[in-house]
Amino acid sequence: MNQSRVSPQILRRMVKKSSFVAFGLLFPALAALAQDDSGPDYGDILQGFADPSRWLTYSGDYSGKRHSPLTQINTENVASLRPVWTFQTGTTTRGRGFETTPLIDDGVLYVTGSNNYAWAIDAKTGRRFWQYRRNLPDDLTYGASAPVNRGFGMLGNSLFMVTLDAHLLAFDRRNGDILWDVELADYRVGYASTGAPLVIDGMVITGISGGEYATRGFIDAYDPDTGERLWRFNTIPGPGEPGSETWPDDPEILAKGGGGTWMNGSYDPELNLIYWGVGNPNPDYYGDSRPGDNLYSNSLVALDADTGELQWHYQFTPHDLNDWDSNHMPVLADIQWQGEPRKVVMVGNRNGFFYVLDRVSGEFLLGKPFTATTWAREIGEDGRPIVLNDGSKGCLPDPWGSTNFMPPSFYPELGLFYLTARETCATFVPEEPSLAPGQASFGGVVFIDPEQGSGALRALDVQTGELRWEFTYPSPTFGGVLTTAAGLVFAGDHEGNFMAFDAVNGENLWHYQTGSRIWGAGAMTHVLDGRQYVLIPSGTTLTAFALPER
Amino acid sequence: MSTELNPYQARVSLLQPALAFAALAIFLIASTASAQQANPLSSDPRAARAGGVIFRAQCATCHGADAKGISSIDAPDLTMMWTQQGMTEGRVFTRIQAGVPGSIMPSHDFPDTEIWMLVSYLRSVAVSGSTGEFTGNSENGGRLFAAHCIECHRAGSEGGSLGPNLVRITQRRSQPALRNSVRDPNSSIGRGYKPVVLSTANAAAISGIIKGEDAFSIQILDSNQRLRSFAKSELLSSDRDVDSLMPVFLERQLSESQLDDILSFLHQQR
Repeated sequence: MNQSRVSPQILRRMVKKSSFVAFGLLFPALAALAQDDSGPDYGDILQGFADPSRWLTYSGDYSGKRHSPLTQINTENVASLRPVWTFQTGTTTRGRGFETTPLIDDGVLYVTGSNNYAWAIDAKTGRRFWQYRRNLPDDLTYGASAPVNRGFGMLGNSLFMVTLDAHLLAFDRRNGDILWDVELADYRVGYASTGAPLVIDGMVITGISGGEYATRGFIDAYDPDTGERLWRFNTIPGPGEPGSETWPDDPEILAKGGGGTWMNGSYDPELNLIYWGVGNPNPDYYGDSRPGDNLYSNSLVALDADTGELQWHYQFTPHDLNDWDSNHMPVLADIQWQGEPRKVVMVGNRNGFFYVLDRVSGEFLLGKPFTATTWAREIGEDGRPIVLNDGSKGCLPDPWGSTNFMPPSFYPELGLFYLTARETCATFVPEEPSLAPGQASFGGVVFIDPEQGSGALRALDVQTGELRWEFTYPSPTFGGVLTTAAGLVFAGDHEGNFMAFDAVNGENLWHYQTGSRIWGAGAMTHVLDGRQYVLIPSGTTLTAFALPER
Repeated sequence: MSTELNPYQARVSLLQPALAFAALAIFLIASTASAQQANPLSSDPRAARAGGVIFRAQCATCHGADAKGISSIDAPDLTMMWTQQGMTEGRVFTRIQAGVPGSIMPSHDFPDTEIWMLVSYLRSVAVSGSTGEFTGNSENGGRLFAAHCIECHRAGSEGGSLGPNLVRITQRRSQPALRNSVRDPNSSIGRGYKPVVLSTANAAAISGIIKGEDAFSIQILDSNQRLRSFAKSELLSSDRDVDSLMPVFLERQLSESQLDDILSFLHQQR
């Protein structure tokens, strides 16, 4: 690590760790070695898309927009896009997907896969440098519901990945060796972890899965050098803490209140706030044992990055009975709002509403349905939904929701928010569960009408939430979205098509059948040797597309 | 009807008569012990022998007659598995019995005793770590490690990535093997560390270790510890008949007692 590139915060930590400093003084060879290739530092991640050869964090930058400035592939030539290589992972998650977003630096892709596999792959040829496979315990509880993973975090020569047995690992990116391994929580109770760690200045931030079990969710920050935990935010308050008044006065219920944080968060470096979605309360469908709003379940929380303290929250679905986790990528943008510049955060929510909030204060600005949900059709003046159908009248969005964690995209110049919408019709039958460690406790059953289900890529006007255009899919879909400044939207569907659309009018310009559903992942794009690539994970493959070489 | 033999599912009578006697005797002792605990046969030297017979008939197709695995089908080296953290005899028993879902490793409905025999056999072929005392000065070993080794090898939380990670290396390699790696590194170069020197129109000699290769390209970790890929069409030369990137340390560069010090230092890195 080149000294001049070390952030003050890391230096401070290094000084604190006197043993580390002593080691460095004793071993000058280390400093000599480190000058060779130090890898990206915090300042590089902060630059986001400035270097087109890099994609250093889950969404490409901290804002979660997933909007690349690259323009080599455009509306005129995208029809000639073709696969350059395919990487076969050899590991799969039946019923789910290959949900990762690859990171790239110095021509090397760093990719995580199902069952806690991971690879370093040559971005030019698709050939691998190394593979990692975690020896997972035989008695995994699958608090994550499926053995998936959404990607690495990266800093310097280290990569960070969470595991299905609820650990956080640091890797040496040059050979896949494990540098440190810390336990986030006990997997035997029902915890797991699947998100892509968020790396900010001197910290690795991660969430946890397990809301279908008798668990209590949290968001953690760790020291990238040592794995030491720096802070923890519990998503379900302890007895007497703010928010506990929205629960029964019972420490046991609070300790098992759910509130998973399994999707990634976004970050505003100026406000120094982390934005993270919180999942369903436990049990999922049975609410009689937990009267009240059940904060901070189904909320967006804004945390002080230095301390993990809650700055504000907004609850999308008070007292959720439908497993409508709010584990979505929060999308940060600076837009004109009713004539004034405004820092906002936007969320397409599982409950069927598109939201715009002020990200400084958490003030509710807009909430508008983007599906035909019968649950509610408007949000009241107080920011709470006016619930029309609590499920007793049938036909609510199913537990997978009106959209889900698949990343959306925001195109600032067009003012359009693109997301994958799911139209479904489900009836929930709650049932009191027994809460035992390590056993899922959904609290009922769900009947989903197989005759009523479809999907769509939808473009929403963020000023009004109104639908600008849509492209419909034959079934409810889980593919994510990427936009590029060349006026393109890339999206994937349940039938396996990877597609490009005109961002302005929704015209389909190109499609390629990948052979397996595209589920959970959004595409990423980068430039290598002057050529723009677009990558999409699907099934057991990662495929790189580019224009034909002239 | 096809009579094709599936080698993974074949279930044949394995035990030669002489071993069958031993097996029976062991079975009578073991039958009261339930599965998935400690190996009830661990004190019986005949168990490993009997297990070896079963292994060669049932397991060697994939894991090799020497249990060192076959990389082309991702069958792991079983002689190394005991060095993994958390690996227990009970866990190996379960793995044999239940198989590895989603892989070609099937489940096996062998009697518990036969599975324990396999466990005994696998224990007997485990790559042994270093035995005996480490008498060197580990503090001095740490200084020597920093001077000679740390650029390429990791020990503890620091070090390079070009050579193997040496954390817990003394648990995986004997002292003579480790000494030999220092004195004569070319005598045995591990998979994933094969050296190569490449040249292109732009660069005369790029040395590194081969991480991957196909008909058109080669992937290396170069001597500056950077992952790089080259199209074979751009290579002017590719020389694999080269020495290991690990330098030879003769006694005049590193005395026996200094080597003792380094090994003692490594033995402490856990």
